[in-house]
Amino acid sequence: MTDGMDRRKFLKVLGVTGGGTAALAGCSTDDVAKLIPYMVPVEDQIPGVATYYASTCRGCAAGCGVHVKVREGRAVKLEGNPEAPINRGKLCARSQASLQATYHPDRNRSAMMRQGEGLAPAEWEAALAEVATRLQAAPAGSVWFMHGTQTGSLDALIGEFVTAIGGRRLVFEAFAHEAVRHASRETFGRDEVPLYRFADAQYILSFGADFLETFMSPVEYTRGFADAHGYRDGRMAKYVHIEPRMSGTAMSADEWIAPTPGSEGTLALAMAQVIVERGLGRPPADARSLRAALASFTPDLAAQATDIDAATITRLAQEFAAGPSVALPGGIGTQHADAHRTAAAVNVLNYVAGNIGHTVEYGHGLRQGDGYATLREFTVAAEAGSIQVLLIHDANPVHASPSALNVSGALGHIPFVASFSRFQDETSAWAHVVLPDHDAMEQWNDWQPRAGVQMLLQPAMAPVFDTRQTGDVLLDLSRRMGRTPRQATYKEYVQARWADLQRTLGDRAPFDTFWRNALQRGGVWTEARPATVRLAAGATRVTNPAWAPTEGQLTLIAYPSSTFYDGRDAHVPWLQELPDPVTKMTWGSWVEIHPDTADRFGIMEGDVVQVTSAQGTVAVPAYLYPGLRPDVVAMPLGQGHTAYTRYATGVGVNTWSLLPGEAAVFGGAQHYVSVSLTRTSRHERLAKTEGRNRQLGRGIAQAVTLGGIAHGALDHPFHVAHAAPVPEREEHLLDEVAAAQRRATDYGPYALRNTRWGMTIDLSRCTGCNACVAACSAENNVPYIGAEQVRRGRAMQWIRIERYFEGGEHGEPLETRFVPMLCQHCGNAPCEPVCPVFAAYHTPDGLNGQVYNRCVGTRYCGNNCPYKVRYFNWYDMSEPGAPKFAWPDPMHWMLNPDVTVRSRGVMEKCTFCVQRIRGAQHRAATEGRALVDGEVRTACQQTCPADAITFGNMMDPEAQVTRTAADPRGYRVLEGLNTKPAVTYLMKVRHLEEA
Amino acid sequence: MAKWVRPMAKASGVLMTGALLVVLVGAMQTSQTAPSATMQSFEPFQAPRDVDTTNLRGPRQPILYRHDIHAGQYQMDCRYCHGYVEVSSSPGLPSTAVCMGCHMVVQTQSPEVQKLAEAHNSGTPVEWVEVHELAQFVRFPHQRHVVAGQVACQECHGPVQEMVQVWQFSSLKMGWCLDCHKERGQTTDCTACHY
Amino acid sequence: MATGKAPQPTYAEITRDIAATLGNPGKGYYALLTTAVVLFLAGAITVLLEVRYGLGLAGYRTPVFWGVYITTFVFWVGIAHSGTLISAILYLFRSAWRTAVYRTAEAMTVFAVLTAGLFPLIHVGRMWYAYWLIPYPNQRQLWVNFKSPLIWDVFAVSTYLTVSTLFLMVGLIPDIASLRDKATGWRKKLYQATALGWRGTDQQWRHYTKAYMYMAALATPLVLSVHSVVSWDFAMAIVPGWHATIFAPYFVAGAIYSGVAMVITLLVPIRKVFKLERYIHEDHFENLSKLMLLTGMIVAYAYVTEYFIAWYSGNPFEQASFWNRAFGDYWWATWTMLICNGLLPLFLWSRKIRRSIPALFVLSLFVNLGMWFERFVIIVVSLSFEYEPYAMGHYSATWADWLVLSGSFGWFFMWFLLFAKNFPTVSITEVKEVIPMPRKGGAH
Repeated sequence: MTDGMDRRKFLKVLGVTGGGTAALAGCSTDDVAKLIPYMVPVEDQIPGVATYYASTCRGCAAGCGVHVKVREGRAVKLEGNPEAPINRGKLCARSQASLQATYHPDRNRSAMMRQGEGLAPAEWEAALAEVATRLQAAPAGSVWFMHGTQTGSLDALIGEFVTAIGGRRLVFEAFAHEAVRHASRETFGRDEVPLYRFADAQYILSFGADFLETFMSPVEYTRGFADAHGYRDGRMAKYVHIEPRMSGTAMSADEWIAPTPGSEGTLALAMAQVIVERGLGRPPADARSLRAALASFTPDLAAQATDIDAATITRLAQEFAAGPSVALPGGIGTQHADAHRTAAAVNVLNYVAGNIGHTVEYGHGLRQGDGYATLREFTVAAEAGSIQVLLIHDANPVHASPSALNVSGALGHIPFVASFSRFQDETSAWAHVVLPDHDAMEQWNDWQPRAGVQMLLQPAMAPVFDTRQTGDVLLDLSRRMGRTPRQATYKEYVQARWADLQRTLGDRAPFDTFWRNALQRGGVWTEARPATVRLAAGATRVTNPAWAPTEGQLTLIAYPSSTFYDGRDAHVPWLQELPDPVTKMTWGSWVEIHPDTADRFGIMEGDVVQVTSAQGTVAVPAYLYPGLRPDVVAMPLGQGHTAYTRYATGVGVNTWSLLPGEAAVFGGAQHYVSVSLTRTSRHERLAKTEGRNRQLGRGIAQAVTLGGIAHGALDHPFHVAHAAPVPEREEHLLDEVAAAQRRATDYGPYALRNTRWGMTIDLSRCTGCNACVAACSAENNVPYIGAEQVRRGRAMQWIRIERYFEGGEHGEPLETRFVPMLCQHCGNAPCEPVCPVFAAYHTPDGLNGQVYNRCVGTRYCGNNCPYKVRYFNWYDMSEPGAPKFAWPDPMHWMLNPDVTVRSRGVMEKCTFCVQRIRGAQHRAATEGRALVDGEVRTACQQTCPADAITFGNMMDPEAQVTRTAADPRGYRVLEGLNTKPAVTYLMKVRHLEEA
Repeated sequence: MAKWVRPMAKASGVLMTGALLVVLVGAMQTSQTAPSATMQSFEPFQAPRDVDTTNLRGPRQPILYRHDIHAGQYQMDCRYCHGYVEVSSSPGLPSTAVCMGCHMVVQTQSPEVQKLAEAHNSGTPVEWVEVHELAQFVRFPHQRHVVAGQVACQECHGPVQEMVQVWQFSSLKMGWCLDCHKERGQTTDCTACHY
Repeated sequence: MATGKAPQPTYAEITRDIAATLGNPGKGYYALLTTAVVLFLAGAITVLLEVRYGLGLAGYRTPVFWGVYITTFVFWVGIAHSGTLISAILYLFRSAWRTAVYRTAEAMTVFAVLTAGLFPLIHVGRMWYAYWLIPYPNQRQLWVNFKSPLIWDVFAVSTYLTVSTLFLMVGLIPDIASLRDKATGWRKKLYQATALGWRGTDQQWRHYTKAYMYMAALATPLVLSVHSVVSWDFAMAIVPGWHATIFAPYFVAGAIYSGVAMVITLLVPIRKVFKLERYIHEDHFENLSKLMLLTGMIVAYAYVTEYFIAWYSGNPFEQASFWNRAFGDYWWATWTMLICNGLLPLFLWSRKIRRSIPALFVLSLFVNLGMWFERFVIIVVSLSFEYEPYAMGHYSATWADWLVLSGSFGWFFMWFLLFAKNFPTVSITEVKEVIPMPRKGGAH
């Protein structure tokens, strides 16, 4: 892009011309600013105007399409690609934060070779030569290539490469869902995870699948779930979650049923039995063949095993059979030694209810990884010394596998290890040569998440560091080893495959056209026809799974973190600071203990507890969580890295060190293990963002039941007890004041006259997934501040997901409610009159303006804000060199140039993405037209996978936001204070009969 | 890389610029038919051929680029070099290729032009010194002022067409902005510029 | 009125005794002064660190945006009040007993306001822009927001500082003059300057007394206004526990209460060290403690009212907030306040204690402590338990808070000590006024 000019200077310059990534320092005494033009103009780059490139997110295997927002040649934000079939314009929190990995200060900046103990930067030439010679020297069959899930071209290329050198490849994926695949093999003879179509379901039953968090394709499933379960004119699906722990997914359930750990399958079988016996549902003809197999699983027997009374089981069966319904087998969090039986049972249940082929589709080829068992083969081979050379790409088995397996020990036996890792992680620490791969933002590649869907990755910007696309490296290596691959570069390789693809698609257009269209859309996709599946022999052999902890011990559930996945995202500071959806914890690990259990052990929240399994012991603070069976404790995976950049190293504990090393029957790792707890004398203040988890009856998060709505619960909307009505006269006066205020600052063509920006948030759709939080941080340059500051209560996120518990005591069911809390942009904002310098004031278009450069920092506004959505810069997170600097070089390159980076001593808060509003207004004015509804989308709204947020001009009766706000479920938080918020929340609806 | 490749590359760059130039001229034609007040009409005048550079106003630039000759004497449209002013918040600076578009043939002997050519051929961008610097918490959308607001460049930048070397004409202080906004009945809302 | 246990002092003795207080200071004085200066410096360095690194060094957090600093600000403003009350109001009421004590009280006022005035600066995030709170024409065409109580504060405090300083200076004039005639060296220069050419002629006296009375009249309303305004910083906000109409009188009473306590705290040592027993005796202390009892009872009443209103209003937020005060995380602060300010002053009903100087001294210390905690409870405890349960949070002060707090005491006592050694802490003239005219041929 910029021929040979220093990138940093370039950025600085555009910081000036483009107007402003730099921190606001009263009057900057910088050295004289230089303006440096392009040598040759770049056709698709205009300084000050963003360019968008379609690409694909590589955070997990789901394959969500993204639009990379590029300013002055630098990617500054990711947004979902509205056309992409998987995510339809939505992204999860991990994807939104992923740019911090792209610009990570601890990325491998060049090729590296081992020198003594450590790795030292090296010339690519030397590194490649070394690897090539090692590969040639290695005897046949002694070269292994271990890599994470790959699809499409790179998968093919690796395949060719490995066959050529007569090696062996091993696809390592920590969360390979072996149990589900094994069960599908047994019951339907298909080795894959089915695709679940929530949108078509009226009854959703999850046997521990965290499909809103890590289960296969969270964004897609969240969208489908919200469409089905979101309340719309009197109808919504019912969602029942069955798991000993209330996971982040279960928090959205209408009914959470906690069976004895491991007994979910028995419940499923009992339900199937009821359905078959009573001939409910629309089962396929051959379902009767299961009758014998199921006969023994009567509800009464199941009741003993599952600790759920028979009546409930029967009810569930009837509700489920009434359909259209879908049942999901367990996720990683419930993958115990017998989990394949649970999955098989669930398959059978789906089958007898006639869901297979409707809400449960096979034939999409959803499978990732060879499974944990193969990793075991690897360690055995390594220890036997039969592996001479190991190539590792995009996999960190040393951290992301049970420590008992001792992968690191195995690596120690391998004479030569070459890693393509972008970061110094636990695995690449064993490497002799590191050939760092490009980041997804920097490379040509493609991705095939499932049959019929082909996504493309294109470099949205020049590489940040001296890294190389692994595809190119492989081609280079094979050339060095005396072969001549058909293509010179990996890009050509990809294009060649796409040419074939074009042929198979029967597209007659010239390839360039096909290619360009694909690039613009982000790929090509066709609707794949689901395979029709019939029962396999194994189906009739279903038995009830069993899991029993060692006598007198508790069952530990090691569940995957929705924030760090298997730990691969622990190096992203924004994610470290992202409150866990369930516990609201940041920067660390914890063990979830039921309050009663805690009492038994005399444990208080924050007490450091020793969790001991047969494999090991970790000391971790206790978090008291009512959403657990008392005989169960839970810990998230993903933390406790020993080497993974400055942000992840030494944070929390590695839960994998507690898990058994041996693979289960179905070839997967076991995530249930018996543990004992011992309290230590240490206590620590938890780094959680939540103050209190109960509403104190203040109606912050309001909910109604479906039955309630039917009985007219919405006719008398909830009012906080004290919400004294404002006297007519005063009401009138207040309105006059507001009107006068608007008159005083009427600014004609500047914006639509009498605009009032407003927002609605539908709590019946919100799943508390945090995507909005991450998106907001990325859009508005919100800094992270670290564990100690979070403990001090200084987290900066402009929007937070408040999580409140209802019930859960004295035998009433536990209910969770989420409220995304952001600046309410009040009509009578309490923060405005108290600001002595008008830094907080009301804009004519109804925003609650915050002028950073005017703010003196009295913080009176913060005290007077009843919603507590104003955040103060206690430290200088924006000054290079300052102790709390949040954007170490080159991370500052991702700062949004349209948003001021706040310096210490000023108050900041949600602005309704005013930069987007002004940008749109400028565009409209330049084109001589008025803004149209939907033209301005806030960052949180844009990314919300559940589509819970609408935004627009409340003064426009036609605007979607105005119509949504009129919903009878609408209410405003703390309405009784007469703050006249611009944010309307639509009550959560629980699918329950009683009013 | 062989010696002759780089010049070739540059030449191609220049050709590209030629193309761009045509486009721009086209754009100018159209936008002139449209009621755009981007250029104020003024008497064409003869810029002095030689100037004493010892005490010129404004910061000393690496190359003595004569706005008075280009914009004044030859009446070149500002947008010819600052091509993004109507679409972006930043007007943009001409790439050296744009300069070379003419100076391949025009005034090739002038020492200043040779500096330019040297920079262009060696691939080192010219580091112009910024004259109009706004505080970094201010957003100034050029496009909106020029297109929607019909504000002529000279109203803020002064008689650039008479400047031998550009100097800061307006204070660019907040009060100065507000005066104009009030005069024209435009917004005085803080978040119009500060966010 | 000075009921003489000691034989009536003569004019000469008065001048001598009081002037003697300005004699060469002893070791003790220097020890005190050094401590004060060290404390002050420690505080000052802390503030500089906060300017460099940010206010995060202090214990602030969301939602407790105001903490120890504002608490201390209100505390010192409060201390300031009794000074003006004693010197101005009691002067207008012609209560003679004030003469012995008002100088100390006035000096205390000036230095207390001087201290308080620093805190808004220390507390704001960008001290270097604090001048934006002052309305002045600027090229930015920006103005301050007169709706904000903080702006009222700016005026209230600055006015109070000006007036109380003037009042002190004016009151000093005749004394300084009489010292000037004895003093030598740099002090002479100082006194010459500050005596404003006082000769003690009838005309000067006539003008002086008028002027003094006008000043007193001028200062009087401030006693009520200043702390009312400060109280509105809270009363005008919607924070549960702040938003109450009782705040102005409640704060004014509290201010005088703490002020009188501080006067006693200061007078007792001065009296001892400067051997002024003949001029400041039990009667003065008894009167002061009566004043303390009165205001203390008003404050106690205000406490009761607050709780009553919280219950009576039926406002759940208000009720929760006050429940939290008494039984929440900060119960200890609340009960310290209630005991020190509500219960202990009840001892003052006994004449014995009112006249026992050691008892009063101890009591005054407790009242000072209690009044600081009163502000702490109102500010911190209310903020830590507001509307949004999820955003409630526990505030704990850090070393930075404590160092700045102690620094403020250092600063205050530094000035006071310097004053006490260079200006008479008891008014020579006015003490003379209240003793019977000397008999003809009597010692003079």
